[in-house]
Amino acid sequence: MAKQFGLLARFKDTPDLFHAAEKVRDAGYRKWDTFAPLPIHGLPAAQGLGRSRVPVFTLIGGFCGFWIGLLMVWYMNLYDYPLLVGGMPFFSPIFPFPIAYELTILLAAFGTLIGMFVMNTLPQHYHPLFNSEQFLATSSDQFMIAIESSDPQFNTEATRLFLEEIGGTDIQVIEE
Amino acid sequence: MSTHAQANSSDASIAFAQTASVRASRDYTMPALIVGLVGTAIALLGFFTGMSAGDSRPLFSWLIGLSFWLSIAIGMLFMTLIFYIFHAKWPTVLRRQLEHGIGLFPLLAVLFVPLLIVPFIHDDPGILWKWMNAERYIVGGGSVATDPLFLHKSAYLNIPFFIGRVIFIFAVFAILGYVLRRLSFQMDKTGDMANFHRARIFSAIGIFFCAAAVTMAAIDWFKALEYHWFSTMYGVWFFAASMRAALSVTLILIVVLASRGVLKGLFNQAHRYDLACLMFAFTVFWAYISFSQYFLIYNANIPEVTFWYNIREKNFDGSLNSWWWISLSLIFLHFLVPFLYLLFYKNKVTAKRTLFIAAWILLFHLLDIYFNILPGKLPLENPAELGYVVRQFSITFYDIAALAGIGGLCIWSYLRSMKRVAPLPIRDPNISASLAHHE
Repeated sequence: MAKQFGLLARFKDTPDLFHAAEKVRDAGYRKWDTFAPLPIHGLPAAQGLGRSRVPVFTLIGGFCGFWIGLLMVWYMNLYDYPLLVGGMPFFSPIFPFPIAYELTILLAAFGTLIGMFVMNTLPQHYHPLFNSEQFLATSSDQFMIAIESSDPQFNTEATRLFLEEIGGTDIQVIEE
Repeated sequence: MSTHAQANSSDASIAFAQTASVRASRDYTMPALIVGLVGTAIALLGFFTGMSAGDSRPLFSWLIGLSFWLSIAIGMLFMTLIFYIFHAKWPTVLRRQLEHGIGLFPLLAVLFVPLLIVPFIHDDPGILWKWMNAERYIVGGGSVATDPLFLHKSAYLNIPFFIGRVIFIFAVFAILGYVLRRLSFQMDKTGDMANFHRARIFSAIGIFFCAAAVTMAAIDWFKALEYHWFSTMYGVWFFAASMRAALSVTLILIVVLASRGVLKGLFNQAHRYDLACLMFAFTVFWAYISFSQYFLIYNANIPEVTFWYNIREKNFDGSLNSWWWISLSLIFLHFLVPFLYLLFYKNKVTAKRTLFIAAWILLFHLLDIYFNILPGKLPLENPAELGYVVRQFSITFYDIAALAGIGGLCIWSYLRSMKRVAPLPIRDPNISASLAHHE
């Protein structure tokens, strides 16, 4: 028999899902997620999630971009190919600033993109949840919660009862 | 039936306004008026004694004090126009505060009059704006009248046209302020949507006049102090600086009113976040404009324009002067510190942290005003010698009197306006969306 991935439960509507998420959070589960066909305001907080960490990647990208821009011009104009333009010094922090500034923006954008992929663990070509016919309906009109077996609190019977208790229906075991 | 209901809720709104003003913990109207009258009296005393002694520094004090408060009102006017044009829903909760701010223009126009009469009553009409005196000796030899740069600019820089522009500038600000206030207050009373639509159309047309007026104000009052100088982005600098000042003042006002005043509990985390994001955006925009101006002048390296930055760095003999430190503090403390500070989410939503950075930006905005107005080339006592003296950075007693005095009068007028109407545009179609605003 294949390894078990976790349990999937269906919820009636948005408020149901929202309140169920709060209960799962309060029960102390860590490895679980909600699935809904539409964005729901406040759901991350109901799931006990903090703010996204993508800005950290943006900051690192921007910081690198700024210094790469400045150092690139510094190396080129001072050592690699010194060129006298209009009596200006070979290097000054003033004139490479547009380059540093543009690279800050470019690498900050790259950082954001990479951060989004890393924090979402993308690309992901396979996910056990897609084995469930029922799960596919979350992209049209269904609301669901999945709790993974790798959660330290997970116990197939107890978790099934818990999901029923908080209003889950059609509870399914999902295999890896 | 509906008119009856409207009449009822209009009474309710007035009652709300009255109780709200009663509920405000303390009434600062009289103290503000006293500070305002005493401050302006002292500053004007300095203004006229300085003038008769041929000392221009108290005149600069008045210009600095006036510009600081004027820039806040201008920024508030722009915010109102922009919010209307973009049909922004979330700022509806703070629009009434902006409307009190944009009612200040008639008062500020009256306070501008002393500067306007200087060329008519003084022996040296160019005591503040040098170009107004054709006989004035200029650094480098000759007089204003023989100065080719002046002659080429004289079609613009002449006293009748200058006065016409002052009237135009204040007329635009005052009319825009008056009409937008009136339409919004009318909306409170009748709830007629026509008011709202008219305000939007009026804003869309008015913003062009407002942009022209701000550009002229910056060119005439600040840039023309050293009339040799060229900079096409100077008007945009003043716009950016005004927006930063106005956003900071709005944030301080709203946070204070929401914590202990009439807006208690109505200004939530999402409002603070959005306002702080705008502060962040305009911090970057201000730096972008200020740097671009420097960058273009640095690269072109033409003496007619580089002198403006030279006197803000060095004396004639090449030694660093006081403005060098002001320049650096503008880069690092007016841009870099707010920029890094406002990158962090917590700093944008915690009320106390937003108050801190708003006060910080306002302080350095004042320094930016000093930096743009005060430095100037003064001729040496012996005109035969080569060189000039740079008017150095200083904070004088009259500066403080002018800032406090004009500020006192502005706050007095603001508080009086607050008493007249409800603290929120309660009939605005977007008010409930704004109150329910979330991230």
